[in-house]
Amino acid sequence: MDQFFEQIITGLSIGSILLLVALGLSIIYGSMGIINLAHGEFVMLGAYTAWLFQTYFGLGLLASLVPIFIAVAVIGWIIERLVLSLLHNRPLDTILATWGVGIMLQQGIRLMFGSELRYVQMPPSLSDSVDVFGLSVSSYRMFLFIVAIALFAATWFLMNRTTIGMKLRAIMQDRSVAASFGINSRRVYGLTFGYGAGLAGLAGALVSPLKSVSPDMGTGYVIDAFMVVVLGGVQSLGGTVASAFILGELSGGIAFLQNDTVAKALVLIAIVVLIRFRPEGLFTTRVRA
Amino acid sequence: MTSKTSFPTGLPRLGAQIAPILIVCAIVFALPLVLNNDFLLNKVARYLVLGILTVSLALSWGFGGILNLGQAMSFGIGSYAMAMALKLKTIPVHTGSGGLPDFMVWNNVARLPWFWQPFKSLSFALAAGIIVPALVAAALGWFIFRSRVTGVYVSIITLATMVVLNLVIIDQQSFTGGFNGITDLAQLEIFGFAFDAYGRATFYLVASCVALSLLVAFAFTRTKAGLVVQAIRDHEGRVRYFGYDVAAYQIFVFALSAAIAGLAGMLYTIVMEFASPTFLGVQLSLSVVVWCAVGGRQSLVGAFLGAVLVAGMQGALSESAAFLETWTLVMGALFVLVVLFLPKGLAGLTKSAWRWIVRRRLASQGIARGVGQTREGSA
Amino acid sequence: MTTHLDLRDISVSFNGFKALNGLNLSVRKGELRCLIGPNGAGKTTALDIICGKVKPSTGAVTFDGTALQDLEEHEIARAGVGRKFQVPSVFRDLTVAENLEVARARRPGVWANLRWDVRRAGRADIERLAELIGLTEHLERPAAYLSHGQTQWLEIGMLVAQDVELILMDEPTAGMTAQETRKTAELFERLRGKHTLIVVEHDMGFVKAIGDIISVMHMGQLLAEGTAAEVEAHPEVRRAYLGSGGITNA
Repeated sequence: MDQFFEQIITGLSIGSILLLVALGLSIIYGSMGIINLAHGEFVMLGAYTAWLFQTYFGLGLLASLVPIFIAVAVIGWIIERLVLSLLHNRPLDTILATWGVGIMLQQGIRLMFGSELRYVQMPPSLSDSVDVFGLSVSSYRMFLFIVAIALFAATWFLMNRTTIGMKLRAIMQDRSVAASFGINSRRVYGLTFGYGAGLAGLAGALVSPLKSVSPDMGTGYVIDAFMVVVLGGVQSLGGTVASAFILGELSGGIAFLQNDTVAKALVLIAIVVLIRFRPEGLFTTRVRA
Repeated sequence: MTSKTSFPTGLPRLGAQIAPILIVCAIVFALPLVLNNDFLLNKVARYLVLGILTVSLALSWGFGGILNLGQAMSFGIGSYAMAMALKLKTIPVHTGSGGLPDFMVWNNVARLPWFWQPFKSLSFALAAGIIVPALVAAALGWFIFRSRVTGVYVSIITLATMVVLNLVIIDQQSFTGGFNGITDLAQLEIFGFAFDAYGRATFYLVASCVALSLLVAFAFTRTKAGLVVQAIRDHEGRVRYFGYDVAAYQIFVFALSAAIAGLAGMLYTIVMEFASPTFLGVQLSLSVVVWCAVGGRQSLVGAFLGAVLVAGMQGALSESAAFLETWTLVMGALFVLVVLFLPKGLAGLTKSAWRWIVRRRLASQGIARGVGQTREGSA
Repeated sequence: MTTHLDLRDISVSFNGFKALNGLNLSVRKGELRCLIGPNGAGKTTALDIICGKVKPSTGAVTFDGTALQDLEEHEIARAGVGRKFQVPSVFRDLTVAENLEVARARRPGVWANLRWDVRRAGRADIERLAELIGLTEHLERPAAYLSHGQTQWLEIGMLVAQDVELILMDEPTAGMTAQETRKTAELFERLRGKHTLIVVEHDMGFVKAIGDIISVMHMGQLLAEGTAAEVEAHPEVRRAYLGSGGITNA
């Protein structure tokens, strides 16, 4: 029985990492229709920024979270301005442009810092473990879970309860109508992309103590995160959360019984089969075509 | 009505469209006359193979509108099919009892696994290298296109499928050679004719396959089915209301493209003398998309030349490691610029330039009528 | 004549909004039926239901004895239903000739269309059609370069090329000049009899010029049916159009 709960908690932990990475992706895709293939590189940038702060300024991970968010968000904003804003009418091309941007970011980091693995220290205050239902759970993983949920709540609040969120939803409905009511869609798009990138950066910083940091670390994350978005259905933040944890539990469970690779393969097959029956994702409702 | 728009065959400008293909094929076949260096010839053969792979992507992406980010998966399957057959033909020095491949011996595999058995037959392997990728693509396509999944989703699913297959191959080391791939292969021998990776026979084999793929792809785009596929790219929903089963057409072009990529993969094993998980890696898949975009996704010849030239340039610069790293950065930037400002790639640029010249010439003769409005061939 | 197309108790809703609410409609073979009604009456949705773009939540569509409501779009098209959309929907990157060729879909299977001689065979047909829709000069131009009116005609020509029994037209004269509209009316005269047509239209002049029987829709239901004069005199129709200046200005 203990083993079962341990599995559940491992799954939750995988799920919270998935959610952290997928949240920004889901926001950007759901609201701008952009498949951001550079998302993994934003994750990587976040991890490198954490490593930089630690190595050169001796700043701990917790203290550097806010600067990391801002730094990566600014990079994202610049990319939106320079590249993506030119492609508003060509959605399929944004996938290519962001992929190209991703290569440049990855290669830029490789040229600057080399390909060797880097390590980020876990905050000392979170390196012990806590007792949950008689099980000892790493405090850091608990912390990740809480942060993931908190960021989701913040994002939901931002989208549904603030002016900028309302403007964004108006643009999603009809860009030209929104524009005629004086909503500056260029500005809102820039901010949205920046916010999504910032979230990815945070995700990268937060996973950096658990995994090694390298220029190509983003690739794996971005594919997993896309699976979350595909399964959850776009334009459904709640779906993103649910599917992140479903996939987390599934991967955790299969990985325990078999191994990581088998888990990935089976989850992918499950998703492809599922799409056949619910192409719009698990958690979206029918709207007029 | 002048004779300009009524064509006796009903198929306008066949000559104008096929000429670039024939010229390129002629140049490819003539290369050994100029290149008197086996090492160089092998290198060029590699780029030609990558060109075939890029043509396969142009077919599904440029003509079918299906951006397959996992195009290298079919390529990899083809290359493993060839490598498995050639591995089983190696001289006993490298193998265990009963022709068991060396890496299986090291991994304590006692018997040849069932899926390796049929590869004892070379003809099976040759067929499998083309048919298996096509079948895999058709199966994946059935799930994707029957569900009416479109655009970016297709790209994500194809990419993810390739990544997962790549992981599985690395993971199942005892059956696949894992990270190292399948190495130490025998030479391909057909009808007692040996294909040395550095020999001219291999080069001509590759050149013939270049011609074959370009012509098959071209022939397809000229059939009515090819036309329907382009109509689907333009306006998928509309095609349904004419009674076409859109998914069937998409599955077909997806599978055809995979078959050509599989052929390229088999050739790649022959010229490289091994198969590796990197052949179905994200890096290669990405490069193919870049080559295709740079050369011109809606032009078969453009895509082919894009691959050969860009990959060739990269190869020429790869002598220095530092330069290679900068090169990747430059390629990323080049790619972004092409996507932003040159959506039809170099082929599109060439076409516009050509049209401009023709119009200028006609204008100076005072007969500029009509030119530049009619569409040029898309070969 | 017997009933050709029959819609029974069709209802469908989008996010709680009942676009169609128990619609009943029947059309006889060879008829040219005009479908009118105020904005939001459900005219376009009715066409969407027939051609399979939207699936009804209740009700049945029968066409020549075939139940259409459970078929996919391409199966409905193969059963003999063609559709022209409100926003002209042609293949912009293909030439006019290629557009017409795609529309000639007598054998829609993949394998049948891999043969080389398929396209050659249709060329004479296509040139004849191009003449009918006045696009002979433009056969080899990409459809993207056509004017709005020409695009509308191209799509009508594509429906003729498709050669189906039943043609559904959604506002075929929208955005056309008066002269273009007249030309379109002539075109319709040539289709009459060979095909059954259902036309959604706002332009009452055009409706009177071409229509036999007019069906008026309101709030997702059939409100009235009859000749132009009968419909205009109908009290409920007058009430439905009240405030929008009457039926002629709708």
